[in-house]
Amino acid sequence: MNLNPFWSMSTNTGRKVRERSSSSALKANFCQVHPTHKRAERQKNRIFKSSQRDPHTLKRSDSEEQSGEQQQQRASPARPSFGKKQLPSIPKNAVPITKPASPAATAQLANGTHASYGPFYLEYSLLAEFTLVIKQKLPGIYVQPSYKSALMWFGVIFIRHGLYQDGVFKFTVYIPDNYPDGECPRVVFDIPVFHPLVDPVSGELDVRRAFTKWRRNHNHIWQVLMYARTVFYKINTMEPLNPEAAVLYDKDVQLFKSKVIDSVKLCNSHLFDQPKMDDPYAISFSSWNPAIHDEAKERMFTHKRRPEDHHKGLQVSGLSWVKPGSTQPFSKDDNPPLS
Amino acid sequence: MMMASMVANGNRDGRQGEALVLKGVDPETCMIVFKNHWAQVVKILEKHDPLRSNTSSNMAALGVIGLSSGGPMRFGGPIPGDEASAVQNYVEHILFLLMEEDAGQAGAMGPILEFVVMENVMERLFLWSLRRQFTDDMKLEQLKMYEMIVGQARQPLLHHKPVLRPLMMLLSSCSGTAGPEVEAELVSLLNQLCCVLAKDQSVLELFFHTSEDQGAANFLIFSLLIPFIHREGLVGQQARDALLLIMSLSAENQRVAQHIAENTYFCPVLATGLSGLYSSLPTKLEVPGEEWHCLHREDWLQMPTLVQFLNSLEFCNAVIQVAHPNIRDQLVSYIYNGFLVPVLAPALHKPTLEEVMTTTAYLDLFVRSVSEPVLLQTFLSFILLHPHRHTLPGNVHILDTLVSRIDTPFQLGTVSLALFQTLIGLYCEDVMLQLILRYLIPCNHMMLSQRRVVKERDFYSVSAAKILALTPSCCSPEHSPPPLRQLDSILWSKGTDNSPNTGTMETEETFLEEDGSCYSCVIGSEIYLDVNYLHYLYNARLGISSCTRACQVWSAPYDGEDPPPEEGRQAQTTTDPAPTNQLELEWDDSYDAGPVVSLEAATAESSRPPQLPAAEPPKHIQEMRRTAIMLVKGSYIEESDFQDDVMVYDLVAKKDARDTVTKGSKEVKAHVADHNSNLQSPSAEVGDDLMGQYEELIRTLGSDEAGTGGSSPVKTVDKEFRNPVVTPMEEDEVDFSSFSMDTPELEKPHSSLFGTKLRSGSTRSHSVPFTGPFVSVLLSRLENMLDNSLHVNLLLTGILAQLAAYPQPLLQSFLLNTNMVFQPSVRSLYQVLASLKNQIEQQASTKKDFPKLITSAQHCLLARENSRECSPLEAGRMMKSSPPPQPKTISLARTEVFATVLFTEFLKELAAIAQEHSILSHVPMEE
Repeated sequence: MNLNPFWSMSTNTGRKVRERSSSSALKANFCQVHPTHKRAERQKNRIFKSSQRDPHTLKRSDSEEQSGEQQQQRASPARPSFGKKQLPSIPKNAVPITKPASPAATAQLANGTHASYGPFYLEYSLLAEFTLVIKQKLPGIYVQPSYKSALMWFGVIFIRHGLYQDGVFKFTVYIPDNYPDGECPRVVFDIPVFHPLVDPVSGELDVRRAFTKWRRNHNHIWQVLMYARTVFYKINTMEPLNPEAAVLYDKDVQLFKSKVIDSVKLCNSHLFDQPKMDDPYAISFSSWNPAIHDEAKERMFTHKRRPEDHHKGLQVSGLSWVKPGSTQPFSKDDNPPLS
Repeated sequence: MMMASMVANGNRDGRQGEALVLKGVDPETCMIVFKNHWAQVVKILEKHDPLRSNTSSNMAALGVIGLSSGGPMRFGGPIPGDEASAVQNYVEHILFLLMEEDAGQAGAMGPILEFVVMENVMERLFLWSLRRQFTDDMKLEQLKMYEMIVGQARQPLLHHKPVLRPLMMLLSSCSGTAGPEVEAELVSLLNQLCCVLAKDQSVLELFFHTSEDQGAANFLIFSLLIPFIHREGLVGQQARDALLLIMSLSAENQRVAQHIAENTYFCPVLATGLSGLYSSLPTKLEVPGEEWHCLHREDWLQMPTLVQFLNSLEFCNAVIQVAHPNIRDQLVSYIYNGFLVPVLAPALHKPTLEEVMTTTAYLDLFVRSVSEPVLLQTFLSFILLHPHRHTLPGNVHILDTLVSRIDTPFQLGTVSLALFQTLIGLYCEDVMLQLILRYLIPCNHMMLSQRRVVKERDFYSVSAAKILALTPSCCSPEHSPPPLRQLDSILWSKGTDNSPNTGTMETEETFLEEDGSCYSCVIGSEIYLDVNYLHYLYNARLGISSCTRACQVWSAPYDGEDPPPEEGRQAQTTTDPAPTNQLELEWDDSYDAGPVVSLEAATAESSRPPQLPAAEPPKHIQEMRRTAIMLVKGSYIEESDFQDDVMVYDLVAKKDARDTVTKGSKEVKAHVADHNSNLQSPSAEVGDDLMGQYEELIRTLGSDEAGTGGSSPVKTVDKEFRNPVVTPMEEDEVDFSSFSMDTPELEKPHSSLFGTKLRSGSTRSHSVPFTGPFVSVLLSRLENMLDNSLHVNLLLTGILAQLAAYPQPLLQSFLLNTNMVFQPSVRSLYQVLASLKNQIEQQASTKKDFPKLITSAQHCLLARENSRECSPLEAGRMMKSSPPPQPKTISLARTEVFATVLFTEFLKELAAIAQEHSILSHVPMEE
């Protein structure tokens, strides 16, 4: 006989008191002996966690150019945790190692901290670099850290005009493991592009000339990526890795051009090849498949719209009665009078 | 009419229950039955009707007069039971027929309802029940009757005055004196009427008009509900539900809102009710144990008075949520002026520690119970801005008092900490502004050159590394004994280890080769990873994300540029409505009104004979000395604070009072003045010097007492307290009343030293960098970590971690950026942590069994964690019974051991937060 349609409005039915979350919650984690089952779920979120990462790289893709090409970046093999990266999983049969670490490992790292945390610092440094890349919104460049190692990033670059117009070059960025104190990251093209600064055998781009000394806090990986883009627009023939290309560019531009066109064709013809590295996050191209790509495309567009919708629906838990521009509490005009 | 009912007949399918009985029955037949029954009723009614002639004309018009003839009249006589029950019987049938009737075409009345209206059936029935003795049973019967027809009728009945009017008469006749059963039924019916109102607002007008007819207060059903607002049990619940319905109605209906706000006592009743209920709460809580610090659900569920209070508070919350802004504002204002200010404020300044602690715990619970922003704002502005009148000149804001109490020993400090944990957890800009941010906005605390660093990002986890490097050697991950190893070995991919120098194709090949084994990269040397650090990272991520999301509603980013530092400085000096930016430490003499027994002192007293050995100073002096040392040493005070630190004066005054040497004070004064001019000099030396002086003062104070007071130490002290020597200080904002115990209970220790209080004043020079009393007090308690009990440290580190998760660069840089260069007088969290590390290393080096103890403490805490709800003590007990071989259990009294373990974990927690900040704070919020 409950006729009250507003029953739920009455808060008496279920009391909601913010119970203090036990302050020990965090500290409590300390010395977990059997954290394995929990660990898995936590790790899932740990590294390269932000799920926006993939959409991001996709979102930035230049539609006008991509639509012409019948190709789509395929982010990664279907995994439930879209765009998440995990720590390398611990081998199942691994025997817990109880022996103390070797003196070498125990030794303090260069920055004077315990070796056990070194990997965390490295990984977070790279995460920070990656977020910086996202922020830069580099035109025509997409990168994706590999699943296996934060030190290896997969990338692809779209050249939109100039001699290398229509070129789509896949590359891999290798970051030294003593980052940021080592040398500058290396950029290696999957297929050696015909270019004075690209090694015709290994496909490595001469990055070091631009970053003779890698300076922490001043140099960032996005600059390397930016440099990798620039070389295709502004050609430099000094101290080339590919002397043939350099000489041709200086002496016979027409032949150079035709060689470039051939190179671009070659690269593009291998676009749909399997990625060189068997990594779930390696960038692979496939021809348009509505079954897969239509949905992804739609998601990309809805993703663009979402922020506002999202904002509305989201219950904002924070509070503020401070009038913008004021530093007084309760300075907003719409405060109810209390006395 | 006939046609209408026949048409309506078609819709009868699907009815259930009794309706089935009538299914297919011709409405005409129903009508005939109805009239028949009514005729029987009327016959009996008229037999006893003193005014029969009046009504019979009506009857005649309807052609039923014949039925009413005959039978002797028995005016005034008692109505025989059989006749009463016969009426009752008929009425039941009649009402059933009425309920089952469908509305006519286009909402017209069905024939039976029309008859009821024409014949004034309901009113006559009401009068009949009045004529009989109008007992509670009678009322109950009538109320139930209405409840049934209102709830179950298929056509709207209340639109018709002949139905509504007797109902209103009944309602008003039931108010006031009725017994509990009638009350319950009355509220139930009122609730039902409110439901009808909520669904069909067109009735509302009629309710108002009918009330006017009665000459009663407008909107009777509302007024009738008010007395039940604070009632406990189902009745109260139903009444509050019903009122809430009307409240939500008021949001859309200006007239209702206006009526409630202007013509009823709804808001005052509600607010003063809170005061009433509050006064019945226990003034002193029986605290289960030392580690207790806040009222959990389990606690308050066992306190009926508190449950009742929370019910009413929750109701206020709900009203504010749904009601018209006029009502909302009025209620909020009444709660502020009728409950918070006159009741809660004095309660927060009660004379004894226990009472104050209890009030603080209540306040914490209330803040946690309130969810509606407007109500929360009321509580918060009370806490932040309400000036509590005090014996001292100048006002003390509630917040200042609360902050100062963090530094009190015993449970009051812990409970206060818990309250601040709640406040900080609100993600409220105003709270954070008052507590910390306004001291940081001017950027005075850092070197000028550092301003640009505020927003800088820590790309390489430098701060995290520096924080973790403070890990005491006895706790370093490499030293953890095998069974408790916090580390798992994770083989870390060094993917490009060998690639840079060799050909890249080769590298790729090696990768491909190794990839056969399902992504378990095994390259390079093994490195131990602290797996539990992953948990901290994960928690840090959650904490920062939710905090960042919450802070999106804030007015400014607090990044050292917005709000501009200059403005912050101006605001501090000029238009501050809470002029407490300049704070002095001062004795909180609010405890002087009565003697206080501290937990510790009380136990000490009971365990010792009242007569003290002559060698020892009197207990209260010991106590005071201890407290004072703790305050001076413990409360970390920037040197510049000392210049007007009342504590200095107090100590000096005491010394003077005894020695009658004014020189001493002058010395200290001179010293202070000297120190004043020395502000720029490196602080450590000066600070130590000062500290030494204080300790000396305190020491001599104690020992002198012991010397002179051998025979009757208490008296001496008493005298001293009664006759304070007025020191020749001009800036005598010092209140020496704290020294005079007018009604001394000498056996009990004087405890005016327990609370220091922060008082708004104007003596502090504005240029002196100060990060605010809250930070100051937190750091000072943290500095005592090794002496703090486990739960205090848990709270402290919890609060600091909470603060560190805030994304505002000003806060972040102050707490976590280890590269930042602060003004020499400003102490940073990192400095305190570093000094703690040193203390720990010292302890570890002097105690042989320290590593063993650490292991025991880790076990104990782990067990505690595994039984989260248990107290540490219980966890300890559990460990004894648990099967795996345990190292010997460790007493919680070994605070330094537990603190060491906790300290190590806290470093990880902070480092994890710093690392996550380096990523999260720089990615645009999505997800």
